[in-house]
Amino acid sequence: MNEGKKSFADVEFGEDLPEFHPAIDMKSVKRFTDATGMSWSRFNDHEEAKKQGLPGAIVPGIMSQGILAAMVNNWAPGCTTLKIDTIFRASLLVDSTATCRGVVTDMVEDEGIVEVDLTISNEAGETRVMGTALIRLQDA
Amino acid sequence: MDIDVNQLKEDWCGRQFDEVQIPVAAKEIVEFAQACGETAARFTDPSDPDFQAPPSYTSRFHGGRAMPKDFPIQSHQGFDAGKCVHVNGPLRAGDTVTARSEIHDIYTKTGRSGNMLFIVHRMTFTNQNEEPISVVDWRLVQNQVSRKSKREAGQS
Repeated sequence: MNEGKKSFADVEFGEDLPEFHPAIDMKSVKRFTDATGMSWSRFNDHEEAKKQGLPGAIVPGIMSQGILAAMVNNWAPGCTTLKIDTIFRASLLVDSTATCRGVVTDMVEDEGIVEVDLTISNEAGETRVMGTALIRLQDA
Repeated sequence: MDIDVNQLKEDWCGRQFDEVQIPVAAKEIVEFAQACGETAARFTDPSDPDFQAPPSYTSRFHGGRAMPKDFPIQSHQGFDAGKCVHVNGPLRAGDTVTARSEIHDIYTKTGRSGNMLFIVHRMTFTNQNEEPISVVDWRLVQNQVSRKSKREAGQS
């Protein structure tokens, strides 16, 4: 998928991005927190997180943001991300099953710009993270 | 909590209170990218000619201090409500970024759990050539702002 670049002409207004189930198991989250210097118990230890009043270890917000950015990049290889805004509405639990979704909500042909609304929901279908990405595609 | 939001804005917004230099390592870029599910070589393979950090990468950086000295609200008193990254240029392995911090905005909103105070902490990133890399706005939220403060801020 990443061999070819997506062009503006390849995108349709209202198009859904392919659903994406990110790896948010403890191993993946530890890998992220090790890389970012965020190896804190609320992210890496369910029991310690519960002692802090959380329902379990939680996925760092900036990892959720990175996951949504990756979803967009994997859907639109070669795109240039201009902005990604994420709202951390509620905690996303480590070792849960999450679903990322996206939909094209605006297109500016003159500039080759596409806006995508993004969400991450949990097993119960509750939206935990939401956001918007603004990207530029070739062939404007 | 009884906070005069307008006064807070006047006293604190727009003033740089921190500056740090941060080296950018290829290994950390790869680990960040792969943990988030990036598959493109430009984010995961340091030998790719266009190798660079994923777009939200600078969200991970912290300054020397989270809030200005003597600022009446500290970061541990609130929770992270979100981050917005404006990407201005590619961040490459081997770069050294300069991150400058300021309080960008302070405002109130009413939610299901009552009145909330939002503090927007802005970090502006440039590379070693002073080329713009990104601007990251971190929204910190705190519950239970007093009604008086809301009225003073002119918000419903």
